[in-house]
Amino acid sequence: MSQDKSVIKGFVLMDMSIRGGQYVGNWRVMMPVIDEAKCVACGLCATLCPEAAIAGKPKVKPKIDMRFCKGCGVCANECPSKAIEMKTEVKK
Amino acid sequence: MADFDVIQGNKALAYGVKLARVEVIPAYPITPQTTIIEYLAEFVANGELDAEYIHADGEHSCMAMAVGASLAGARVFTSTCSQGLAYMHECVAQAVNYRTPLLLGVADRTLGWFWSLGPDYSDIMPELNLGYLVNFAESNQEVLDMTLQLYKIAEDYRVLLPTMMSLDGFFLSYSQERVWMPDQEVVDKWLPPYKAPYPIDPTINDKFPTASIPSVMHTPMRRIYEEILQDSRTVIKEVDASFGKTFGRHYGGLVEEYKTEGAEALLVTMGSMTTAGRRAIDKLRAEGEKIGLVKLRFMRPFPDTEIREIAAKVKAIGVVDRMMLHGTRGGGAFQDVKGALYNSGVKIPLQGFVTGMGGEDIPIDDMYLMGKKVLQAAKNKRIENEVEFIEHKMPPMNEPVTIDWDEPIYPGSDGCAGCGASIIVRHLLKTLGPNTIVINPPNCGGVNYGQAVRVPWILANFAAAAAYETGVYRAMKKKGKADKVIITSFAGDGGTADIGLQSLSGAAERGEPIIWLCYDNEAYMNTGIQRSGMTPMFSATTTTPAGKVIAGKQVRKKNMEMIMAAHRIPYIATASLSYVPDLERKIKKAVEITKAGKGLAFLHVHQPCPTGWYFPENKTVEIGRLAVQTSAWQLMEIDEGNFKLNLKPKELRPIAEYLKPQGRFRHLSEGQLEFVQKDVQTEWNALLELEKRIRFPGY
Repeated sequence: MSQDKSVIKGFVLMDMSIRGGQYVGNWRVMMPVIDEAKCVACGLCATLCPEAAIAGKPKVKPKIDMRFCKGCGVCANECPSKAIEMKTEVKK
Repeated sequence: MADFDVIQGNKALAYGVKLARVEVIPAYPITPQTTIIEYLAEFVANGELDAEYIHADGEHSCMAMAVGASLAGARVFTSTCSQGLAYMHECVAQAVNYRTPLLLGVADRTLGWFWSLGPDYSDIMPELNLGYLVNFAESNQEVLDMTLQLYKIAEDYRVLLPTMMSLDGFFLSYSQERVWMPDQEVVDKWLPPYKAPYPIDPTINDKFPTASIPSVMHTPMRRIYEEILQDSRTVIKEVDASFGKTFGRHYGGLVEEYKTEGAEALLVTMGSMTTAGRRAIDKLRAEGEKIGLVKLRFMRPFPDTEIREIAAKVKAIGVVDRMMLHGTRGGGAFQDVKGALYNSGVKIPLQGFVTGMGGEDIPIDDMYLMGKKVLQAAKNKRIENEVEFIEHKMPPMNEPVTIDWDEPIYPGSDGCAGCGASIIVRHLLKTLGPNTIVINPPNCGGVNYGQAVRVPWILANFAAAAAYETGVYRAMKKKGKADKVIITSFAGDGGTADIGLQSLSGAAERGEPIIWLCYDNEAYMNTGIQRSGMTPMFSATTTTPAGKVIAGKQVRKKNMEMIMAAHRIPYIATASLSYVPDLERKIKKAVEITKAGKGLAFLHVHQPCPTGWYFPENKTVEIGRLAVQTSAWQLMEIDEGNFKLNLKPKELRPIAEYLKPQGRFRHLSEGQLEFVQKDVQTEWNALLELEKRIRFPGY
């Protein structure tokens, strides 16, 4: 009985270490813009972002990765200090 | 005067069913069949078709409903494909000796192993040999015409057998073609209502079909059913001729020949690939090659005599297969043609091709190449390889996005903008940590996020995710690792409350210490918003449309918490993506309970879906919050029998605040709104009463 992995044929595997998505930023129509002055760094936008595209936690100002933001506007809708505004994006 | 329309294959089939005045339609969604049942739901909801439309809880039940209805004497249609057809299999077989002349539409799609939404015949192939008449349609027109023909053939007392129609997923099901629509009055005259010879109706009949017979009768019965199938050829040809006389279109019985006059080589095809085959034959003929094509219209009964006659006139045959009979070296049609020729005295080279699996296109160029190979075989009087696989190179893939990321789920998924499921996946995996195994019955969450997480995410068969979990858990336990890994599901509402309920109930009763997480978006969102057992009352979905006669779902949502509480499992909780700390606390509690080996922990998370509920995508979290504040959804837990409401608004907000922003409730009348308001209040009061008792009854 061979138990040498090199003889295995046709076994399709998923490699957890190299998984990743695609740049979905081009789905966006409106883009979220954070007003730094109003932001109190509560971290709620990062908690609720459906795309996990916002890096941030309490006491750390959030940063939106625009390569992945789909522009859904959940962050702007939920921000308790109304610090995020959805603006029409001018695409270059 | 007959009219034409440019429609998809699925709509052609639905129109055929409508024209045939089918009386009972059990339905269960699966891509790419689903739009058939959606069109039918629309016909019924708008009063255009007077039929009993049954929302089944899984394919096994769906087919059982079809067989039951046909036994009782109704004209019945149902449809499915792929995994669904495989799940039906037992009931599919049962239809034969009950002599139920129903029509099963199969919008072909690959059967996993490897999953794909694309078509090939690996799903219908295992069903071919049960005793059905199996037709393969090439065009949308043929789909509509054969729907009518198959009822007329099947309901003929010389046949009285169930029939199956294969229409290729996507290539036919979702492709628009011009289809001539017969007039209803003409169809009514041509296809009279079905009159069952022995319906199971004790008020008119004292005989009924039986399934169990003594062993000694089995072999003779197999012979007799084979005779019926073989004799059905006459009926097939008769009906086709009569159809042609009435409607002006006919297809020529079990096979159709194309440019076979004087041909030395033949390609044998079936289904939609035939059209590409025809164009390749045209090209080869234009080059002066003597080649023709034979389309297998019926796979069962297999047109063996026709094939023998045609084969006697040619020098080589190539069979193009979109299915593989594993372990026999070749495809299904190839083996059937080979079998038909062996004892016939026709000794010519027979070349098999396997191609177009998993939905890959079979382009005209490939057909041309195959035609050339068969011509070569005719010339050389021999073949190189008995079966050839026509394969294509993989197109270059995009480099995966590599980024520094702390989250357990990578960004850049295929999920809809504003998707709530990803919020749940993220907080689930964040709380559970890296040593987690996710078992995922098919759902949109798996399709969109299964590729983007950093833990094993295993696709389970729809009806059996809890059983997969059980298996994984027991193996881990045997290997002494039960306390090192966490096993959870990521199941949708259909996979929990409908098709997955039996398996889940079994795991709960056995006390398997696993987590069951149900993200509840209140419909089958993966297949395109069909009603599930968890769809709330009056909600419009694609299978419960807001029609003129019936508007929205007419019955209440299942109460899963009470069902699970009846199993007396140690932990049951509901949560919402709008209350993340509460959600995370409950996930932690579930881990605690399962690690202690106490039993199954059931988490039921409400997930507003902007796509399926028709509200703006920035309102996902807001709608979730409104659901809790109006008590359309309650946050509660049953912790080892102790019942607790985790969030009690002082006063419930009016339910209209939750319903009005959602398109699925747009059609609600004032009366219906009042009904829902009363219903919600009654349920809320009952829960408050329950909380006063603290202990949940039965624990």
